[in-house]
Amino acid sequence: MTCEEFERGLPELGSGHSIEQEEHLKSCSACSDLVADLNAISQQARFLKGSEEPSPWVWNSIEVALRQEGLIRQLHEESSRTPAPLLSWKLRWLVPVAAALLVALGVLLHQRGMGPVHLAEQAPPVGAVTAALQPNEMAHEDLQLLNTVAQRMPSMRAAYEANLQAVNAYIRDAEQSANSDPNDEVAQQYLRNAYEQKAMVYEMALDRSLP
Amino acid sequence: MHRKQSAFAVVTVAVVVVAAFAAAETTRKEMHFKVGHRASVSIVNQYGPISVKPGPGKQVVVTAILYSSRVEIDQNKSGNRISVFSHLLEGADGDTGRVDYEVLVPADASVTLHSTTGPLHVERVHGDVILEGSTAVVDVRDVSAGHVHIKTLNGAVTLTNVSDGHVEITSVSGDVVLNAVNGSLVHVSSSSGKIHYDGDFGDAGDYSLTSHSGDIEAIAPSYASIEVVARSVQGKVENDFPLQPEHTSFAAKAGSAFAGTMGKAASSVKLLSFSGKIHLKKR
Amino acid sequence: MTDAKKQQGDKLSEAAAIERAKQGDAEAFEALYNLHKRRVYSLCLRMTANTAAAEDLTQEAFLQLFRKIGTFRGESAFSTWLHRMAVNVVLMQLRKKGLPVVPLEETMESEEEAPRKEPGAEDPRLAGSVDRMQLQKSIAALPPGYRMIFLLHDVEGYEHNEIAEMVGCSIGNSKSQLHKARMKLREFLKTSRAEKAGKP
Repeated sequence: MTCEEFERGLPELGSGHSIEQEEHLKSCSACSDLVADLNAISQQARFLKGSEEPSPWVWNSIEVALRQEGLIRQLHEESSRTPAPLLSWKLRWLVPVAAALLVALGVLLHQRGMGPVHLAEQAPPVGAVTAALQPNEMAHEDLQLLNTVAQRMPSMRAAYEANLQAVNAYIRDAEQSANSDPNDEVAQQYLRNAYEQKAMVYEMALDRSLP
Repeated sequence: MHRKQSAFAVVTVAVVVVAAFAAAETTRKEMHFKVGHRASVSIVNQYGPISVKPGPGKQVVVTAILYSSRVEIDQNKSGNRISVFSHLLEGADGDTGRVDYEVLVPADASVTLHSTTGPLHVERVHGDVILEGSTAVVDVRDVSAGHVHIKTLNGAVTLTNVSDGHVEITSVSGDVVLNAVNGSLVHVSSSSGKIHYDGDFGDAGDYSLTSHSGDIEAIAPSYASIEVVARSVQGKVENDFPLQPEHTSFAAKAGSAFAGTMGKAASSVKLLSFSGKIHLKKR
Repeated sequence: MTDAKKQQGDKLSEAAAIERAKQGDAEAFEALYNLHKRRVYSLCLRMTANTAAAEDLTQEAFLQLFRKIGTFRGESAFSTWLHRMAVNVVLMQLRKKGLPVVPLEETMESEEEAPRKEPGAEDPRLAGSVDRMQLQKSIAALPPGYRMIFLLHDVEGYEHNEIAEMVGCSIGNSKSQLHKARMKLREFLKTSRAEKAGKP
């Protein structure tokens, strides 16, 4: 076996050599050195696995994104605080609603990808309930949220009520605009923004409703 | 009679003074944390201001003034990550639960602040800035090379001299003011809050200012290089610039929409309001 | 309180963290991130040789994983699933930049690119003394196609059939490119050693 033939067979070797290759290695110091070098490189490379650490802001950015997308749905827990089981039960009602708003947003975005014709045919998302209500009426979930806020932060109830009314008005107008012209991309953007704003109100209320 | 009235006045004053002292159970705490490159600092404080500025050395210094014994401070350090939390005890409210924070951080630190009442203030850092406040007034200035994310319900937001990063602001009814804010992405979303932008629309960025009913005012120089789309469904739309017209997916009706380019159209600018007024002004 | 919280986080096993993450638990997400961040980041860093790009790709890989965590049923090891996602994210990034990801087929590759060992030529040994810092620099200098195969096989420990599936090439091609990557690294390392020896 020549050195050239030996090297041609190297990629297929894996962890073992054939008898011919073993014989060649015994008699050829150059090829023997080559194999030793390649093994040393391969072995040293294993130590590079997972040896670098990303900076902390990477996790910060991930966490922000997860919260914005509603994938983080539980609160930071404080173990020394007395638990309030009744309140926790009530909060569980509201967490899926916040998630549902974001899911509705996702459905809308997906529908946009399918084509504007399909938008009118789809079942109305959660926010459409808002559109059906009179301007000063509130959906059941909104009232639940306000009751929760009132229990834990009475001083903030009025602010949350005013902001919920503002975003509900936004959703109503945006839905009417999008329904009147499903091809209007700007109307779609209004609707996205409106839903995001409402999801943000829920998220902030749930985060802040426990002191 | 006169002696009785004097005695009553003295007792009243004494009671008031004692009560004042009792209420003023303020405590000052200072915490020091050694950190490395690109530390991450998180403060959660329901009631009270938080101010963050750069400080010397590789350390985070947190000075807190607690307004009563009904609030405690919890702290945690995990590697390069510091978190400080105002823990409200039974019966705490906006006054007794208040803590005032002043924080010094290395300039490359990332900062995350949560507060209901605020105000929140961050200046002269290069890391990411993430602020959330319900009614908190937010002020961020002289931040570069970091991403800035802000959420408020009705707290007003002011950014001054922020560049080289992403800026995302969502406020339901708080007014948002951006002075000299440039970046590859600048997105502001409001329901009823007004949006005011005064800057260059530089950095070949993606700028989007959208509202439901809040008015939008954008002031730019004559040399701005932008591709702009502006539209209000029910509000008035004005433009001070001569634009090269361009095709849009909607009809650019005079008075309610316009679209066009200026200069090399390096940056994309969207000014969208449902019922608010929009005005693109020349500086 | 905070120390207890930290201990609780440390003790959270991967399986428990996955289940809790499916429920939206913030601590569980963080625990999974901390368990796997070094491996994902190291791969991204070695592929891009750029800290900022590597951090962005790391973030993207974890976000994609966390968005899909509800669909994870344990058919494969979680780390394998995550790692494949990271590799895909890196590959997409390279494709966007127009850099070669799929190693060139042997028949198409120029003869000049493949490192050659001249039979009978003097060939000083490296063996037993491969400097890790020099190896890292040499890996960064490899062409992207070679680098990807080398990282996946020799650093990350994937088998050729797995690499072929991830990268979209044949098993034979994966083996061939790995060999060429190692030969190229050998060349870089020897040159670097010779340069150091030549310095006064």
